[in-house]
Amino acid sequence: MTTTQPHRLQTHEPILELNDVSVTFSMDRGDSRVVDEVTLDIERNEVLGIVGESGSGKSMLASALLDAVVDPGTVSGEITFHPQDEPSVSVLELSKADRQRFRWEQIAMVFQGAMSSFNPVRTIRTHFVETLSAHDDDIETGMKRAAGILEDLYLDPDRVLDSYPHELSGGMKQRALIALSLVLEPEVLVMDEPTAALDLLMQRSIIGLLEEIKTQYDLTIVFITHDLPLVADIADRVAVLYAFEIAELGPTEEILSEPAHPYTRLLLKSTPNLQAPIESMQPVEGAAPDPVNVPEGCSFHPRCPLADETCQANDPDAATVSDRHTADCHHYEAAPGAIPLEPPEMDEIERTPRHHGSAGEPLLSLDGLEVHFETEQKGLGLFGEPETVSAVDGVSLDIYENDVVVLVGESGCGKTTLGKAAIGLQEPTGGTVRYRGQDIYGDDSDVDATDRFSADEIRRALQIVHQDPGSSLNPHHRIRSILEAPLKQWYDDLDGNDRQSRILGLLEHVGMTPADDYIDRYPHQLSGGEQQRVALIRAMLLNPELILADEPISALDVSLRVEMMDLLIQLQETFNTSYLFVSHDLSNARYIAEKTGGRIGVVYLGELVEIGPPEQIIHDPQHPYTRALRWATPQLTYRDDRAQTPPIRTIDIPDPTDPPSGCRYHTRCPEARKVCAQSAPATKSGSDAEGHEVACYRVQDDHDYWEDAPIDDADLD
Amino acid sequence: MVFNNWRIRRVGQAVFTVWAVLTLSFALVRLMPGNPMGAMLVQLEQSGMNPARARELVEARLSVRPDQPIPIAYMNYLTSTLQGDLGQSIASGEPVANEIAQALPWTLFVMSWSLCITFVLGVVIGALMAYWEGGRLDVGLTSWAILMGSIPFYVLAFLLLIFLSYRFGWFPTGGKYVAGTEPGFNLPFISGVMYHAILPVLSMLVASGVASLGMRGNSIRVLGSDYLRVARLRGLSDLTISSQYVARNAMLPMYTTLLINIGEMFGGSVVLEQVFQYKGLGYYLYRAVNIRDYPRMMGGFMVITIAVVIALFIADMTYSMIDPRAGGASNESY
Repeated sequence: MTTTQPHRLQTHEPILELNDVSVTFSMDRGDSRVVDEVTLDIERNEVLGIVGESGSGKSMLASALLDAVVDPGTVSGEITFHPQDEPSVSVLELSKADRQRFRWEQIAMVFQGAMSSFNPVRTIRTHFVETLSAHDDDIETGMKRAAGILEDLYLDPDRVLDSYPHELSGGMKQRALIALSLVLEPEVLVMDEPTAALDLLMQRSIIGLLEEIKTQYDLTIVFITHDLPLVADIADRVAVLYAFEIAELGPTEEILSEPAHPYTRLLLKSTPNLQAPIESMQPVEGAAPDPVNVPEGCSFHPRCPLADETCQANDPDAATVSDRHTADCHHYEAAPGAIPLEPPEMDEIERTPRHHGSAGEPLLSLDGLEVHFETEQKGLGLFGEPETVSAVDGVSLDIYENDVVVLVGESGCGKTTLGKAAIGLQEPTGGTVRYRGQDIYGDDSDVDATDRFSADEIRRALQIVHQDPGSSLNPHHRIRSILEAPLKQWYDDLDGNDRQSRILGLLEHVGMTPADDYIDRYPHQLSGGEQQRVALIRAMLLNPELILADEPISALDVSLRVEMMDLLIQLQETFNTSYLFVSHDLSNARYIAEKTGGRIGVVYLGELVEIGPPEQIIHDPQHPYTRALRWATPQLTYRDDRAQTPPIRTIDIPDPTDPPSGCRYHTRCPEARKVCAQSAPATKSGSDAEGHEVACYRVQDDHDYWEDAPIDDADLD
Repeated sequence: MVFNNWRIRRVGQAVFTVWAVLTLSFALVRLMPGNPMGAMLVQLEQSGMNPARARELVEARLSVRPDQPIPIAYMNYLTSTLQGDLGQSIASGEPVANEIAQALPWTLFVMSWSLCITFVLGVVIGALMAYWEGGRLDVGLTSWAILMGSIPFYVLAFLLLIFLSYRFGWFPTGGKYVAGTEPGFNLPFISGVMYHAILPVLSMLVASGVASLGMRGNSIRVLGSDYLRVARLRGLSDLTISSQYVARNAMLPMYTTLLINIGEMFGGSVVLEQVFQYKGLGYYLYRAVNIRDYPRMMGGFMVITIAVVIALFIADMTYSMIDPRAGGASNESY
């Protein structure tokens, strides 16, 4: 790799030069090299996106830029930093004192865990003050600068500075952390998954803010993420990391439209998004290599459809694809032909339209469902009213047999609570849930005794798959006993052999072969995707009629998501179940809903604001909130309108203990008029499409709304 | 909805616990097998007192009148207890409240020293172990802490007594102060008091073993946290990081443990003060049990329970001052 000066730019002025940078950890199993001889230039004032799956070494590369790799890792190679008007410095050779000044004054870093990046017992202000004083900066001017940055990030400096970290929402904390990283006016900002824990809208808004901040503070940004669409929105150049090396590097536009490395192409195809036809989305087969045991030759060859003997023998050098575009592949010229990004024309897979809508009795019927939580009362006073959070407020929804409904919304909007109330896990404070016409929370007197379902039958019919498979499986039980438990409970006529053959069959069915081997493992011996499969089988064993899948794929790596969703869909067909999906990601929602012919429901602050077939929700959303969600969903195409103003008034969600009057979205809605603040719109048909319903005045052509005056920001304060 | 406020709920819980203790001891006196009243009557009658006089004495000392209906007796008992009248000691005939008031400060004196030293030792040793995690110091101190944690304090007390007092004669074998000194603020008396307290305090220090292990775990957790990593990158001084970041956060869980320890120490004082012939509340209680001095026993138990309840109540009320995340002051996203 050293001979050809890979990933070097001749014409541009680099701010950081990396030369053969490696990060090594000594482990019992041998040396583990988590960054392998990366050579890379970072241009002044660019946004460089570094994309890789988890375990590809991207975070280590980020830490290496600050010489901040945690013990016992060691960084080798050469990193040269070229400050604006000062002599260049070699980062890895700095003395301890110099290094302490270099970090944060020249290169600052924003971590993934903004939630935990602040000392919980000190105010945000203290964090700023101690940073300034540690770098012998003038506190007063420094704090003025901090207040300015916070304002630029749409935060109220006085309130934020006097808060403790736990008093801020996740998005606010993340922005406060960005402000903290900029307070010493660094030239480079390294961001390691800065938005991974945030909602789509917040994510997209912060990306937008970064763009502004970058120009204003004259920054170079290194943006590290697993999310290719996200980086497409902000980066000038993208480096794709695979197995601790750079696989491909080039301008964002070229990486997205004409990627040359097979891995990039497969990764693009495996990423759910809103535009590409769902038939073209396919998982990347195989798994990323272990750092101790990287394959000989090209590290991607075991998963690569183009691999031949050359790939097995020789590690490819960076080949120049175009002027500023390189790919570490022997066959980069053949890759576009072998792995087309567009789906093959001929097999237009016919989508089985599901019969939902008016067809038949609903399986589950929610009517005016309300779940209110009382919270501890605020403040130090001894007396006062408790706060009430309406997690779910008046939701009506019918789910039919073989139906799929995906609930989408920001975190804290009540979508999970709604799901749990629907399957009988969270007693509602108002409204009813009816399973085949019978109220599952008690009053079943209106049903004939002969037709009545027992509580056990209802429990069995309504099942759940949790978000985190790791914590929903008992770590002390083998897969066998985890899966046997529901069978023993519900099918006591089965003997041990029957149970075993049933479990083995299902394990094989979901691709966990050899099943004999898997059945005796413990959950921690499985990968995340396999754990989720086991959790899924456990729910399926009961032959349920409805499964609540609460973000079942958000804990999985990007390249595994499509595979998991396909499996979910396939199991649904096999077992004739209905799904109630909960997701915060519109792309995933679209994938599932479109493939199964289901519906997408958009939830905002406990209300169902729009529901309908995916075609309508994605391509012709009627509710302004759905539009905002759509805007916030990163897309895989290079957009010229990247810096467009967001279609929302404010970034932050209103306090759920004190929801806005009228239409709850009016405080953030760019289309809001006076009437929206006064009364909430009823749910009306949104388009000609069956089942498309919207709770917004804008779908009612003859409503007074259209004569009303728009709300301006002064009205909202 | 007043009861939704956690502070009021805690006050309510504390009051309830105290009430329950009072009621239980009221019931115990009447229900215990070989019931105290009967036992006391027999005791007095055997010593040659005539039954009528014995009954009068019992009534006076136990504040129990057997002929009273239970509800009235109960009310009288509650009112007199709340007024500080805990009955009279059988052995001495003194009001129990007075006797406790005299004994309690000595126990508190030894206890507060043990608690303070235990806490400081635990925190310092724990922090050192965490800082050199896996090193020789860590291994050595961990073994020491486990050893300390597994020795019952009274065994250590006996060892100290045997070696330091009897064999080498460095410390007194019992007592609270040097005989012949004038109680008050004068040097001979105070230094004598300190001198006599050293061994009891030392033997209670076994608790620091467990405390230091707890602190070690907490510190290691904090050392691995994201905010510590960010603090290092921000270039904060080692002093700020170790005091304001590591110690501050690692000590939070210790605070509650500290106050819960008060209860343990009171319980321990019963044996400890017997070993050292240290005439505090524990010594007094032990004697009461031996001679079946029921009013004393009841009074002593009551004081201990109430002290523990108050300590835990203080812990609850003050925790939000040292940890902003706790308590009612939370206002997520403003």
